[in-house]
Amino acid sequence: MMRTDWRDHDWQLIHTAPQSPTLHMALDDVLTHEVGAGRRAPTLRIWEWASPAVVIGRFQSLRNEVDGEAARRHGIEVVRRVSGGGAMFIEPGNTITYSIYAPQSLVKGLSFQEAYAFLDEWVLEALAELGIKAWYQPLNDITSEGGKIAGAAQVHRGGAVLHHVTMAYDIDAAKMLQVLRIGREKLSDKGTQSAAKRVDPLRSQTGLPREAVIERMTATFRRLHGLTDDYLSAEELAQAEALAQGKFGSPAWLTDVA
Amino acid sequence: MHGEYKMPGGKLVVIDLELRDGRLAEVQLSGDFFLEPDSALQAINGALTGQPGHADEAALAAAVRDALAADVMMYGISPEAIAVAVRRALHKEPAA
Repeated sequence: MMRTDWRDHDWQLIHTAPQSPTLHMALDDVLTHEVGAGRRAPTLRIWEWASPAVVIGRFQSLRNEVDGEAARRHGIEVVRRVSGGGAMFIEPGNTITYSIYAPQSLVKGLSFQEAYAFLDEWVLEALAELGIKAWYQPLNDITSEGGKIAGAAQVHRGGAVLHHVTMAYDIDAAKMLQVLRIGREKLSDKGTQSAAKRVDPLRSQTGLPREAVIERMTATFRRLHGLTDDYLSAEELAQAEALAQGKFGSPAWLTDVA
Repeated sequence: MHGEYKMPGGKLVVIDLELRDGRLAEVQLSGDFFLEPDSALQAINGALTGQPGHADEAALAAAVRDALAADVMMYGISPEAIAVAVRRALHKEPAA
């Protein structure tokens, strides 16, 4: 397998109407598989959330990470994703989440640390164009003078690498701390002051609406790597809906690490 | 029993376990690390289950390493970090 470059691929953009948390988990699974099998061209997917969620990492303990009673009280669904890493607190509009589904050849020969930074170089450039001085903080964070901006996670599977990232746009920190069990050490890691009411590094540092930030980010990707507007095929969506109702919606998957 | 260890330059490694007849039981590794394939998690839990409660860090790390297939990828976690979390759980030390 030869190392490939971004421009060796015909990048596709998927940015659809809001979808449920379990469907997002399933779409990452299906689209990684489709790119690995060569049935789909490498793809950038921007997520839109239909409802609030806590997304825990593949190896996180459900009871150690989430206050289930608080989640129920706030109507927040708890789901487990396929990748490692930490918990995300999602309310529609509070974050910007994207997935890159790439052939393994794009990161061939790179260390894990290099691969994380490499797949987000375009984001650092987009942030710079938005006036934010941001940099990669190993292992898997994007941070800025205004605090941590994003966390990334990767999974390698069947010839493809999934790289997905959640960026904090404007998070209600008080509600997040009711639902997630985050220690003080972890909190400082997230760039949060103990008294902070919001975690809003993207909103406060750009002054732009979330949609405008997304538009600027995809424009940067398009300029650097090329990007064609695409949509989910009926078959991809059907596969993902089946997985969302099956595996990703099942108590067995959610409590796999109790 | 519960132990946590933030691996320097890595991620949080958490161990929950019981001690039965002097041996580790119901071992559960968790945390925000990266591990592939994900089935390696059960292999690690299995390797630690039944280890003597007095096993030192080197012995615990060796047990974990021996249970891992050659293709397992770890990022932000290591057999040594897992061993530290196990010892902390057994000593009931406060979370790191």
